[in-house]
Amino acid sequence: MPNRFNLFIKKNTFKRLQLSVRAKSRTLYLHLDYARCDKKNSVLITVLIILFFQNCAPSRFVKPLAKNENAVSANLGGPLIKFGNATIPIPFTSINYGRGITDKTTAFGSIHTTALLFGNIQTDIGICQSIYKNDSLKFGFSINPAMNLAFDKWEKNFRAWPQLDINAYKNILKDKAFVYIGLTNWFELSSQRAHQEPQTQRVLINPHLGLTYNTKKWSYSIETKFLQMNRNNTPNVVDYVGINQKGAVGIYLNFARKF
Amino acid sequence: MRLDNNFYNLSDEITEYKLDKFTGEQDFILDNSYFIHDSSIHLFDLYSKGPEDAAAIKIKALYIGNINTINTDTVLMYCHGNKWHMDFYWQRAKLLAHAGGKLNYGVLMIDYRGYGLSDGEPTENGLYADVDAALAWLKLKGLTKERLILYGFSMGSAPTCELTSKPRSLAPTKIILEAPFASAEVMANDGSGLNMPASFFTNLKIDNAEEIKTIMQPLCWIHGTNDKFLGIKTHGEVVYKNHKGIYKEAHGIEGADHGEIPKKMGFQTYLKTLTEFIRRD
Repeated sequence: MPNRFNLFIKKNTFKRLQLSVRAKSRTLYLHLDYARCDKKNSVLITVLIILFFQNCAPSRFVKPLAKNENAVSANLGGPLIKFGNATIPIPFTSINYGRGITDKTTAFGSIHTTALLFGNIQTDIGICQSIYKNDSLKFGFSINPAMNLAFDKWEKNFRAWPQLDINAYKNILKDKAFVYIGLTNWFELSSQRAHQEPQTQRVLINPHLGLTYNTKKWSYSIETKFLQMNRNNTPNVVDYVGINQKGAVGIYLNFARKF
Repeated sequence: MRLDNNFYNLSDEITEYKLDKFTGEQDFILDNSYFIHDSSIHLFDLYSKGPEDAAAIKIKALYIGNINTINTDTVLMYCHGNKWHMDFYWQRAKLLAHAGGKLNYGVLMIDYRGYGLSDGEPTENGLYADVDAALAWLKLKGLTKERLILYGFSMGSAPTCELTSKPRSLAPTKIILEAPFASAEVMANDGSGLNMPASFFTNLKIDNAEEIKTIMQPLCWIHGTNDKFLGIKTHGEVVYKNHKGIYKEAHGIEGADHGEIPKKMGFQTYLKTLTEFIRRD
């Protein structure tokens, strides 16, 4: 089967995917072994890619940068899916840039590199705003209002989805790291879906939990999300790891360089 | 990178058609009472040339019945789903050959280009060209539109709707849609939970939900209520609702998943339902 989707598929047989992410001198290797691809997986992957396209990135900023500080980050990760006999994350990627406007406000923008492979320009642009910070107790709250914009070169379709992330964080390890918990919320502006059918679900809620470790110049984060927790994950040609037949669990890595 | 090719599931490669001797995965296997003698099974080649083809492509076809009486028989053109090949669908075609009694109606099935032993690579336009090549063959054998029923299962609902909405060689007198999908747009909407256009992922234009609006022929729609692949609400019901023709009937099969309809329905009930629809004035 000639398959243009050979990023993931080679003749529908998955033997091994070796995925390397280089972050400065550090290299993370994820070795994922697959059993022979299930027969329906070519269609399944199609839908999986669609399903979580809008959830292909972790939280952009949980804590604002310092004023005039910059950060560039690379993100990797996605929902866990059952694939053959294995459970794997879909490796979505994106690149993000942020700059501290004030000590409480960071502006950011991103480009979704996986979407680019599909001929789509997708970005999310927004701010991280600190709304409460307690230095003595070493915790705080922030919100990230953002707009997701996507445009395809094929039919020139354009879509915009507002997003609002809400985060609470707590410093640990003598402030070298912090844990955070929050909600990523996507909003559908259209009241209709295809064929003029009503859009019944206008808000997609994705709770997340993460850990960030900071060095002087680098930040490393790992985050898990419960994607689309308010949506049933059937019927669909999806065979993913959800909770009580809702949504899916996602895992994301983020590597950020500050300057 | 586009996902068009992932629509076609060709993962089981074969070197010959085995039909009853096929031992691979199948949705169901009929007992011996549905046996059809080799003399009524005709495997042959057709040549299909679509708008994008420089030359005609050889595809495989299978006719159950008497080819010499096509000029007087009623024929079901069975458009199979996106999986594998005619061996996988043989039991379904054989079951259809028992509607109204053994070999009461002729049944024609093809492997679309790239499927089974058919040459070429699958494309959307290729699907339509290949089914039309089969209809042209039936027409050549004397079939007229009053005696043609188009049956589309799953992906096969696409050529069924396309060639009924925009007929080429022969228009059917009635159509049957089993577990049809609505459109690539619905697939993208269902997957994302957002009003996300299909063009973000695929160049496929399949749009049964809109094409069905122009189809006036009677429709029999059958869909499993537990279809985990193409949900009855977002796919089947939209197609059924959009049909504006002179007659339509709906059969929601309780608890049936995508490939389970004949089995869950019961083979005899399934055949009775189809026969009544075909014979209905």
